[in-house]
Amino acid sequence: MNVRKVLAPTLLAAGCSLLTVSDAHAMHISEGILPYGWAAFWFLASAPFVAYGLRRLGQASEGDLSFKPLVGLLTAAVFIISCMPIPVPVAGTASHPCGTGISAILLGPAISVLVAAAALFIQALFLSHGGLSTLGANIFSMGVMGSFTGFVVFRLLRRFKVSLAAAALIAGILADWATYVTTSFELAAGIRGDAPLLPLFLKIMVAFIPTQLPLGILEGMMTAGMISLLHRKRPDLLVKMRLIEPEESVPCN
Amino acid sequence: MHLFSEEFKTAHMLAGTDARLKLLVASGLLVMVLTYHGFLFPLFVGMASLLLCVWMRVPLKLFVLRFSEPALVALILIVIKMFFAGHDELFSVSLFGVSISAYKDGLIDGLMIASRIVGAVSVITVLGFATPFTDVIAALSWFRVPKGLIEILMFAYRYIFMLFEDAMVIYNAQKNRLGYSNIRRGLSSFGILAGSLTLKAFEHSQNTAVAMAQRGYDGNMPVLKHRPFKPSEVIVSIFLIVIMGLAWKI
Repeated sequence: MNVRKVLAPTLLAAGCSLLTVSDAHAMHISEGILPYGWAAFWFLASAPFVAYGLRRLGQASEGDLSFKPLVGLLTAAVFIISCMPIPVPVAGTASHPCGTGISAILLGPAISVLVAAAALFIQALFLSHGGLSTLGANIFSMGVMGSFTGFVVFRLLRRFKVSLAAAALIAGILADWATYVTTSFELAAGIRGDAPLLPLFLKIMVAFIPTQLPLGILEGMMTAGMISLLHRKRPDLLVKMRLIEPEESVPCN
Repeated sequence: MHLFSEEFKTAHMLAGTDARLKLLVASGLLVMVLTYHGFLFPLFVGMASLLLCVWMRVPLKLFVLRFSEPALVALILIVIKMFFAGHDELFSVSLFGVSISAYKDGLIDGLMIASRIVGAVSVITVLGFATPFTDVIAALSWFRVPKGLIEILMFAYRYIFMLFEDAMVIYNAQKNRLGYSNIRRGLSSFGILAGSLTLKAFEHSQNTAVAMAQRGYDGNMPVLKHRPFKPSEVIVSIFLIVIMGLAWKI
């Protein structure tokens, strides 16, 4: 592969992604991008995770009437957070976080898939961020990959006695980047036509690095900030959600 | 939040049309747009949708805002396809001392995807503008979308507005105290804002559960019941699908 030949157009596409970052909502695949075969495939791939999430929701809300309202309210919170602009230093403008890292840490990955699905549905219908035909693909990248990566990383780091904020920071970053890598793959697979998949996938990933790399770090910092605030203000909630042991809770400020 | 405005959603004939039929017609059109190989049909759908939006008196600003993100995504895709895929060279430019080529077949592919985005986004935009959210939820329930998901959607939609107001109060207070004057302070302020929203979500959920339990909530939310299908609406929907199907076939 001629590196110079690949590098120049990649820089051009990266420039375009920088131009558009002020309107980039996380990294959703827009309505109509995916051919129907791929759109259907990602629906099928997401379906078992949504079904598992619904089962977990049913189990968790059996003895707790406040659980469904809590999931709904956190969905609303995640939706609003993902609509809020945060500054991206490299691009010199603002972009929007996904919010699935924090929901996976707080509610677990299965229910976080439902949170993402509901937020994505409302965004698709009322904001044209993402889409209905690409809902399966967006649920898979943001809900499944983002949630499971964030949750597994957080739990793993906590097992190694990493502090709450540091674990949340890394989980938030990796959840965002996992979403971005998966979306790049979905996009490459969907638009490649007869071009080979791997080179296009790499080019799309490189093209979005200027925005998504710093955005991931910002999302990680935001996740760490949120967890730290919850730890300071309502440690009892973190104990209830089994994120910390009772002895780790500190008195409220 | 003005993007969510539902004021104009009740002032036209489409608002009163059965949401189930609107969902079916929109799904049909979406499938047609996605399966079409070419520019014309998706652009025709886009044009028809634009006219419908004008007829529904959708504010122009709202319409442009809805289309801004998909349009920019389409632009990136055209660039990516034009420079990364294809064999038939269209032109060549020099960038950072390196000559790069744009390909005609890549450009055509990119334009086809862009037209698909325009067509598909138009369909969903009209659906969103023409249907109040509660009607969409009731229709989804009729289509046997799992109840758990429906309930989360209902709770989420109900509380988006309330939490958004809370978020705006915090955001404006932070902004007035220069909370977003530089990146470091901005990030810190945003973390506090997001954390406060999460805390409020927890608190509201407890209060909501208590209030709902007092009103007989047993863990299941009732949704709107549908009236029977109107034969006239069904006939018009079928006619519309057949006409668009013919346009798709041609």
